[in-house]
This record gives sequence, structure tokens and C-alpha cells, in this order.
Amino acid sequence: MADTRVAAGRILPVVVNDRESEARTPGQPLYRIPIEARDALTPCPPLPPLRAGESDLTQIGPGRPRAAGEAVVITGRILDEDLRPVRRTLVEVWNANARGRYSHVIDAGRNDAPLDPNFYGFGRTVTDDEGRYAIRTIKPGAYIARRDIEWWRPPHVHFSIVGSGVRLVTQMYFPGEPLNEKDFIYLIVPESDRDRVIGRPGAGSDGEARFTFDMVIRGRFQTPPDLD
Amino acid sequence: MSQGFTPEATIGPFYPGAFLSDTPQDLWTVGPLVAHRPEGQPIVFVARFIDALEQPVPSLVVEFWQANAHGRYRHPLDESDRPLDPQFDGFARLRTGDAGTLRLQTVKPGAHPVFMEREALRLARPEPVALRRAQGDPELAEWVEGRARSGQALAERAVIMRAPHLRLTIFASGIDRLVTQVFFDDEPLNATDPVLASIPDPEVRSRLIATRRDLGAEARVEAGERGRLEYELDIVLRGGRETPFFDDWD
Repeated sequence: MADTRVAAGRILPVVVNDRESEARTPGQPLYRIPIEARDALTPCPPLPPLRAGESDLTQIGPGRPRAAGEAVVITGRILDEDLRPVRRTLVEVWNANARGRYSHVIDAGRNDAPLDPNFYGFGRTVTDDEGRYAIRTIKPGAYIARRDIEWWRPPHVHFSIVGSGVRLVTQMYFPGEPLNEKDFIYLIVPESDRDRVIGRPGAGSDGEARFTFDMVIRGRFQTPPDLD
Repeated sequence: MSQGFTPEATIGPFYPGAFLSDTPQDLWTVGPLVAHRPEGQPIVFVARFIDALEQPVPSLVVEFWQANAHGRYRHPLDESDRPLDPQFDGFARLRTGDAGTLRLQTVKPGAHPVFMEREALRLARPEPVALRRAQGDPELAEWVEGRARSGQALAERAVIMRAPHLRLTIFASGIDRLVTQVFFDDEPLNATDPVLASIPDPEVRSRLIATRRDLGAEARVEAGERGRLEYELDIVLRGGRETPFFDDWD
């Protein structure tokens, strides 16, 4: 019988100067799943029904006024680790408003910036057969994460990809933002991979700023052959 | 050298509540006032999340994924001939409250076989893209060869049974994605489960096994004819009693 014991897995990095990260990040190496238990049955939740306009965060509903700030369109492709398109996967996005305030009860009190009555800051869409998605949002403002050490979070959009055998949560940053290079969460990304979390600017014919944000999702997930 | 993959990041403190309310949070209930129920033993899984300072972790998000009562996943790659349950998808997303706890209402998952034939085939014949990458990377080529060897070994094996378990994907401010599996202390198959067996220290292994609560007769009556069972487990993110978490990247 072959020896299928496996060596220890990764040790997860801690975000410097983040107390939560220090207290919550496992200190032990991850256990690698033994080969005889690797079955590719990564969560494959059924797609939820989406409402009209959910991929457009710049309005809280169809026909409602446009939120304050600069509208940006973010498009991209989602690929698995063998560079196959991840089809019909749920893409969830959330970001702060133009002034750097989230519409979240936890952000009340710690942030002086006002809510925008026309911006909730979360939305969803589903990838097509080529793994493409598109969302429209308001470019988020920077906000202070910790006053005691003057830690500012640069503008960023949270992305969550779930379904069709993949799982990724990441953050997209905007190119050329001076705060990027001082952000502890950005700096924890290995230098050689940092361009992978920055949206690439592109030309929009309609005057809207456009960014491309492609994702390649690691994991020995197996894209299901057919979800129809 | 760039790994070529999109780096993971924390969900941060401001995860939208709409992503919770628009995702199943109770796998007992098919829909409001709907009489249909999933098959199997109703259970409640109560998890308490604790950090290195022994403090509860609020606003932590867990995604649960599990087989139905027959041991079948609603997943295109589950090749089992066990039946699907039309009333059960097996995916839920929950958030901890201020006490760091959450309660999942679900049915107990069935034990299930791991189908090694397909896995063996996959291991033995890596994807063309993986091969191309391997050509430029000597370590990766070695890994591909190792996979092929493992594939041959697996093809010669009998079906391996997994003990009933829940699969958890954990997100919170301060951490990236964590994955683990939770077992039940009244399941004899725990003794031979390959994931549990891969953790050498029995005390560490026990940190993945939820304990059945002793519910009084009153609770059983309240739950109706199909009395529920309750299981509880502390999940410790860091520290002396740290829960084992798994690396699912390869």
C-alpha cells in the first residue's frame, strides 16, 4: 500500500499591526487533506434568483437616483487553476461609498463620513459561459481603519466568488493610489502577486471609468463538467 | 516568482447582511409555511468561535456544505447511486452573534464513499495546462509525477468511507478563508475516517468532533415527532486548543 501521508501545509501569514489578525490567524501549519479523502466536492450551492439591477450598485433600485461619486464599471473573467472558465458562479461585491463609509451597522460611530441615501454598496451577478462578469459601482473613498497608528485603507472593492466548485474572497485595489503602498492588507500580498489585485484601467466609450479585474482561483477544485 | 493565482483576502468587518439573508440559513426549512421537510435526523449544530485571547469572535461568517441523509452531495461530481433529496441542497451561510456562536439547523449527513476511480484517473493524467506549467518548473514536474504514482496506488484500492461530517469554510475580519470539517461523537465510522486519521494526536483530533448534548424530554416534545439532536463544538482559531484547519490548495 502506498504511503499517502502528506507533509504539513501552509502557515498562514498574519497582517502586521492588525490585532484581529494576530488573535485569529491559526498559528499551526494547515493540515493537508490526505489523498484518499480528496474528492473535489467543494461547495456547489444552487444559484440564488437575482433581482433586476443587482449588478448595478450605483442605484439602490431600477429607476432610483444615481449615487454620489464616480461610477466605475468592473469587468473580468474568472478562471480555475487550469485556466478553464468558471461558468455560472455567483459573484458578490461590496464597497464603501464615495466618502469611505459602509452601509453597515458596525461602521456607524467609527466613521464620521456620511451615508449616501442612494448607495448601499453591495451587489451580485453570475458569470456567463466564458466565465465573464460585469458590475457597476461607485469608486469607494479611502477610510481610516485605525486612528492610533494612522492606518488608512485605500479605495478597494471586496469580491466573493462561490459556486461551480470554486471559492475565493479577495479585494480589488485601484491603480496609482498612494495609500496602496501603506496598507497592511495590501502589503501582505507577495510583491510578485500585487498586480493581480489591482484593476487594470481601460477605455470606456461612454465616459465611465472601466477596470478589468480577472481572477484565477487556486485550489484543486474541479470545475464541474456541466451544471445544466 | 508569481504563483499565477489571485491572492485571497479577508472579508473585513463590513460583510453585507444581504448576502446572509439571501442565502439559506436553516436547512430544516424548505420555505415559509412549506410542509415539505428534508429526509433524515434533524440536528442542531452549535459552534462557538474563540480567538487566541479566549475571546468570542463575533461577525464571523461560516459556509456549511454537507451530504444529505443518504450520503449524497448535490454536486455534479458526486457519482454515487445514493438518492438526492429534492428538499435538501446542503449549503448554508451563517454569521456569529456577539457571543461568537451560531446555530445551524440541518439534518445529519450520511456517511459516504470517496470514489477513487475518477480521482485516480485525474491524478494519473494531469490537465494539459498543468503539464505545460510543469515543463518550465522542475519541482512542478516532480509533483505531476508524484500525482501519477498516487493515482496508480489509489486505483488499486477499495472504496474509502467518510464518516458523517460537515464541511466548514470560515471567514472573518483579520483572517482569510479557513476550511475544516466537523464530525459527530456518536459515529463509529470516526474510527476509520481518513481525514480524522490524518491527525496523529488523538487530543488534537478530538477538536474536530462535536459533542452530543443531553436534551431533556421537554425539548424532544417541542421538536415534534422527529426529535432533534444537538451537537456542540468550540472552534478555536488560534492558541493552545487551536482547531485543525486544512490546506485545500492541492
